[in-house]
Amino acid sequence: MPRSFPSLLFMSFFAGMVVSCAPKNSTARQNPPLPEGIDTARVEPGHRGGVFIDSTPGEPSTFNPLVSEDATSGGFISLFLDSLVRNNAVTQEVEPGLALRWDIAPDHKTFTFHLRPGVRWSDGHPFSADDVVFTFQAIYDPRFPNRSAFDLSVDGKKFQVEKIDDLTVRLTSPEIFAPFLEYVGGVGILPKHELEPAFRDGTLLKAWNVSVAQKEPRRLVGTGAFRLRSYQPAERIVFEANPHYWRADAKGVRLPYVDFLVTKLVKDANASTLAFATGQTDAEGLSPDNVAWIDRYSSRYGFTVHNRGPSPNTGFVWFNQNPGKDASGKPFVAPHKLVWFTDRRFRQAVSHGIDREGLVRGVLFGRGQPLWGPETPANKKWYNPNVTRYPYDPARARALLKEAGFQWGSDQKLRDRAGNLVEFTLNTNQENQLRGNMATAFKENMRDLGITVNLSFLDFGTFVGKIQDSYDYEAGMLGLTGGGDPAGGISVFSSKGRLHQWYPNQKTPATPWEARIDELMSLQLRTLDYSTRRKYFDEVQKIMSDETPYIYLVTANAYVGLKDRWKNIKIPPLGSLVWNLDELWTPMLTP
Amino acid sequence: MTTFIFRRLAALIPMLLAVTLLVFALMSLAPGDFLTPVKAQRDINPTLIAELQKSFGLDRPWYEQYLRWLGNVLRLDFGYSWTYKVPVGQLIAQRAPATILLSLTSLLLAWALAIPLAVLAAARPGGWIDRLTSGAAYFALAIPEFFLALLAVWMAARTGWFPIGGLTSLDHDFLSPPYQILDIAHHLILPTLVLGLGGVAGMLRVLRANVLDVLRAEYVTAARAKGLTERVVLFRHVLRNALNPLLSTIGYAFAGLLSGSLLVENVMNYPGLGRLVYEAFIREDQFVVLGSVVVGCTLLIVGNLISDLALAWSDPRVRYGR
Repeated sequence: MPRSFPSLLFMSFFAGMVVSCAPKNSTARQNPPLPEGIDTARVEPGHRGGVFIDSTPGEPSTFNPLVSEDATSGGFISLFLDSLVRNNAVTQEVEPGLALRWDIAPDHKTFTFHLRPGVRWSDGHPFSADDVVFTFQAIYDPRFPNRSAFDLSVDGKKFQVEKIDDLTVRLTSPEIFAPFLEYVGGVGILPKHELEPAFRDGTLLKAWNVSVAQKEPRRLVGTGAFRLRSYQPAERIVFEANPHYWRADAKGVRLPYVDFLVTKLVKDANASTLAFATGQTDAEGLSPDNVAWIDRYSSRYGFTVHNRGPSPNTGFVWFNQNPGKDASGKPFVAPHKLVWFTDRRFRQAVSHGIDREGLVRGVLFGRGQPLWGPETPANKKWYNPNVTRYPYDPARARALLKEAGFQWGSDQKLRDRAGNLVEFTLNTNQENQLRGNMATAFKENMRDLGITVNLSFLDFGTFVGKIQDSYDYEAGMLGLTGGGDPAGGISVFSSKGRLHQWYPNQKTPATPWEARIDELMSLQLRTLDYSTRRKYFDEVQKIMSDETPYIYLVTANAYVGLKDRWKNIKIPPLGSLVWNLDELWTPMLTP
Repeated sequence: MTTFIFRRLAALIPMLLAVTLLVFALMSLAPGDFLTPVKAQRDINPTLIAELQKSFGLDRPWYEQYLRWLGNVLRLDFGYSWTYKVPVGQLIAQRAPATILLSLTSLLLAWALAIPLAVLAAARPGGWIDRLTSGAAYFALAIPEFFLALLAVWMAARTGWFPIGGLTSLDHDFLSPPYQILDIAHHLILPTLVLGLGGVAGMLRVLRANVLDVLRAEYVTAARAKGLTERVVLFRHVLRNALNPLLSTIGYAFAGLLSGSLLVENVMNYPGLGRLVYEAFIREDQFVVLGSVVVGCTLLIVGNLISDLALAWSDPRVRYGR
């Protein structure tokens, strides 16, 4: 060892030195002429150049939008595939994308999209209506089961897609479908010239997999701001500017400004946060408990932690109200407990007994706010602030419990009419630290009311199994990512829904208020008028807060850390960290 | 000899059957399945979940799924990864080179350090080299690999001499080939040290004891009496005989080529098989798990076979009959 070790060290220095002053391959950008239908970005014109670096925990599982089910893969796909229209994450409005404009026929079911003339795919092939028709064909083909096929149909009936001419496409929905444009905005248009062979021989779901991305990145042809340059599994993904992108700035400089977009693939969220805190990456989403210590490095590495405001994530407690029995005839929930859980006053009392301000202070370090309904303020377009609130009020909670026939013994423990001790087991998943802390605080709050709560921390898989298959539990604590169009919440709100967790998959609504929610949810789906939809969905939120099947807790604020060198940044309240990657630029020192 | 090889290879079949059956049964006992995360998303249609369940065969009892997998394996189809939609073989081949590279460099480091040190230590038992190496060996054996890996990462972060994890730098794509090789070498140093040092300690102790044994043999005295220099005696006559027991450990090293670095890879963010297999276990991506188990078992058996053959070649007393 005495001889080999220093020489090894020396070698590494040598290697490190050589690498840092190695010559770079030329990275000059091509500059094909701008398309006729160019979209001019309304931003301060900047300079081209620079590399934007970020990191993501985990790995994309695919680059094929028909296969993608996770946010990581979806995020990468949206970098290189654009849609007919774009959902602006900052304004939450629908904007022109590959379609320059669109007309809605008086029947509110027929949409005619006029495509941008002169747009080309990243390989230079012209883009046309055939690509749009092909994309929908692929999505609806029963050989390729995928998520979009279900999102883009109404009661199992597909949209009709016709090509009018090379630059015009007509889409017709079988019924009036409220989130039509939003959902169309989520469909990345696929290149017919590249994927048709795989479509023909039935291997479309295997196209654009990680192996193709690694070996032939250029085959991932898109219209987005970037195109894939290289993919090293478990290391990084490098995107480069798409030379044929269809947006430019006011001076006629084609976007994106940045030359390269590098994403480090790290193993978990901690590693990702750490990479940002040590100045290695340009952007990172931060959880409330990390903000304070990371902010201390902001001047050393030149970044700022921006508060995005409330996140779209909800957290709640609910009681199992399923009156069914398992195969052996044993009820899922003990009958006397089912009586408590289905009593609205009991749920409201529990809600009044929770010190949400305390949760925000103790668990979220003051970086959050109490939550009273199914949407958080992050969902600007649909959030109803006028729902029923249950401020921390133990006296009110006790009054409600008394009204519902509960009483306290000399031991200060709560008992129901028949004298049963009020006690239940709250299940939650063990992976989420903040949620675990909230469960503990909840237990303390309930003890003050004389209610005994036993905590059970389960593996996420086990817990989901209980909620969706075996139903053998009393109470649960979980979160859901809300935000977006109300249509996305149907599986939660509708009594037939799979995630109607307190009593899922009901044949007929168990209560009048659940019947009313069902009615409202289908009404809001059948009109394009925002204010009408808003009225229906406001009522849904109001009922949810009145009946309180979910006892909402708090919502944490979301934070994003960003290096100060980037200009033109737009941070959306929900979704990706930076909404306008194509418009970012950085002043560079020229040698 | 050939029958011996055949017999050993034939023993693979029942073992693979038993091990894969066990893994499959354990996986089906574990709560949840591959589709659990999908089920927890609010905007996924139940019909799609049912369709996926059917296409993955998850709606069938576990023994039926196992038999179906077995049937496909007989046709040399190891299935495809549900996560990545890529054939399992292709996926393993994508990640294996990095792991093999690391295993080889660390094995090489272990042998290159352990052999000369052991001989030098045994040549003067109780001398300063001996005391120093055995002290260091005890120390190295006592430190778990993952802890050493954490120390290495911490050291890299503090000093900046080495990259923090990974196998290539951010600008790797833009370097010319010779610099790309240097870049990889630079990244390999720390993981190689971490994986190799534990091996050095173990081998050092075994080899030192063997060399001491052999040194007392009569033919060593004879060699010295012939007037051979001490160096020739030690490295030509003693070492060759003392190495035999170590040859039999090559088999395990061979098996460890693909699986041994799982922990270190995860701690050091190394882009090898370890992370892939770990994630596949967590996600219950059945065919990837089974595929990696099959590869691991096969390597173990083949590795042992190779070390047995190497032993027969190096030690004239060992012969395999029918």
